[in-house]
Amino acid sequence: MDPRGNLFVLGLVLSIVVILISVLISVWARRFTRNLGDYYVAGRSIGAVNNGLAMVSLALSLTTFVGLTALMIEGVYIGVAVYAAFTSAFIGLLLLAAPFLRRHKSFTTMAFIDERFNSKSLRVLSVIVMLVVSMLYLGGNLKGIGIVFYYLLGIPELWGIILGGIVVTLYVTIGGMYGVTYNQTFQTIVLIFCLMFPVAIVMRALGSSGWFFPPLGYGDMVPLMEQVAPHYFWPMLVHPSVYISVFLGAWFGIIGLPHFVMRYFTVRDSKEARWSTVITVFLVGLVSTTVYATGFAAVYFMNTKALELGITIPREAYDYVVFILIENLTTQGWLAVAIAGSIAAALSTVAGLLMIMGAGLIHDLYCVFKPDIDDERKLKLSYGAMLVIGVLVILFSLNPPDFILEAIMWAFGIAACSLGVPIVLGIWWKRTTKQGVAVGMTFGFILTTACFIMIDYIGMDPVTIPIPFIAKYLYGPFGWIKTVSFILPLSFILTIVVSWLTPPPDESLQRQVDEMHGWSDYDNRRYNGNGLPITIIILSLLTMFFVTTLYGVFPGSY
Amino acid sequence: MKDYKLEVRATVICFTVAAIIGGFLSSFFVIFNSVFFNQVAPPEHLAQHFSTMYIAKTTVLGFPLHYFLLITLSWLGTTLIGAIWCLIMDRLEKIQQQ
Repeated sequence: MDPRGNLFVLGLVLSIVVILISVLISVWARRFTRNLGDYYVAGRSIGAVNNGLAMVSLALSLTTFVGLTALMIEGVYIGVAVYAAFTSAFIGLLLLAAPFLRRHKSFTTMAFIDERFNSKSLRVLSVIVMLVVSMLYLGGNLKGIGIVFYYLLGIPELWGIILGGIVVTLYVTIGGMYGVTYNQTFQTIVLIFCLMFPVAIVMRALGSSGWFFPPLGYGDMVPLMEQVAPHYFWPMLVHPSVYISVFLGAWFGIIGLPHFVMRYFTVRDSKEARWSTVITVFLVGLVSTTVYATGFAAVYFMNTKALELGITIPREAYDYVVFILIENLTTQGWLAVAIAGSIAAALSTVAGLLMIMGAGLIHDLYCVFKPDIDDERKLKLSYGAMLVIGVLVILFSLNPPDFILEAIMWAFGIAACSLGVPIVLGIWWKRTTKQGVAVGMTFGFILTTACFIMIDYIGMDPVTIPIPFIAKYLYGPFGWIKTVSFILPLSFILTIVVSWLTPPPDESLQRQVDEMHGWSDYDNRRYNGNGLPITIIILSLLTMFFVTTLYGVFPGSY
Repeated sequence: MKDYKLEVRATVICFTVAAIIGGFLSSFFVIFNSVFFNQVAPPEHLAQHFSTMYIAKTTVLGFPLHYFLLITLSWLGTTLIGAIWCLIMDRLEKIQQQ
């Protein structure tokens, strides 16, 4: 896809304004950082509204602008289903993990796993998992910055990736978690404005009568859409287990993704953690429904006005469609606003990921091997680590995945199958042992990563991957998503069965579960029965069985 | 144990409802497609066949019913469930602190 032409001055100015404000906020926030706790978790002083807004920008990465429309053009209904599951996944995070993790005194997911199961080996393993999923997430987002710069300036994506990477590395290093939090709050406001308004103008240009409220305002265009793209609203193009896989990946993935969980360690108390999630769900839902409108407009535009205007959009340009849409249907000012919004979206997510990677390497890895270093030295090392990680991430992003949302969906899958399982069981079942977690986590991580490498990186057809039993059922459109419906249940079953077969953990470890749930006393009867693990095993078996049903009914591709 | 049971029950109920409306809903649309669509293809044709049209039986604000349910329940429905659960947990937390 060719760039849009000459230097787009207005877009460049607005983007620079967003970048400069972000750097200034970090410089300003630096004054609050006095110790390691301030640097990593903002002194655990963030309120519900601030954290909720910060979570929104963390959640709504650049995929909001340049990834989802590509998925919707490729898969229509499933694109909406993916974002719907992602929106509701915050409620899963709320019910199963967020407030309980806040009561735990950890800085990160990796530290939580170490302290809950008393295992340094698990801590190291979870750092490795964190690095893999964060890299996948980051690669997608930095590629997105590259796309925006390419489209904006007509310069190669590479330079956009390098520039975006340098800016965000600098402001994360300078401002620490305070800087990241206040920046994310600012970027959420920018993002919502920069998405809602241009989309409303686009909807008006396409003839929608409810253009002033894009989330639910395009109903009158549905009959026309059904004529030009009749399959747009059909959910039955894929095996129903694909939707269950999406649900499992989103709900347990968000619990397993350390950069989401880390935000909960920054809030004042568990009540703030709870209500910040409710704020997040509402705002993420508002933006997601606007994004569905964007996807709808993109598909509608490609099948109607683009044909009239003689615009052909090749497959490799699907990630750019939002900008093509805005440029052709609105004024240059709105295009500039959308570009600035997408820059804000990318910066906020990349910042959160760099923060967790820096914390993971220094706090969770280096300090395990060098436990005697003081906090001041740790803080200095953290600054250095953040810079080094920023450079490494830029290098990794030079060869990013083809479709950015697909890479992020794999990150969710890997996080769900490896970290999501021990976190949920560690909070809700006292009997979970470190041996059980080691087996379940290793199995989930290795198998999901292997599937990712074979299917997405090497490009093998999912049904041909050398994994007995599972591969056969990965047929059909988006068949690879079904890997989660096998690996996540198996990871749960392995963790539970091995925990049953090994001696129960010490009372001091089991006591943590009561404390996480807010009980000041210890009662062995709480969170210790067999009801939960048996229910999980039954549901896991049913999920796997369901994927094997209706074989041959959904074999085609569209 | 009474308060513990309250916490577990509230969480199980909220989780189940949120999982259904925020996750499983689309699979129900596929399995029970005859509820939402008029022209239903025989099972061997369910995969994709543009020659077979699926026409939504009911629309809300112009959207096919299933689509409207998906986008509103996964957003406003789950937000409401989250808020209800938070209120219950706020109450429980007060009891725990007494």
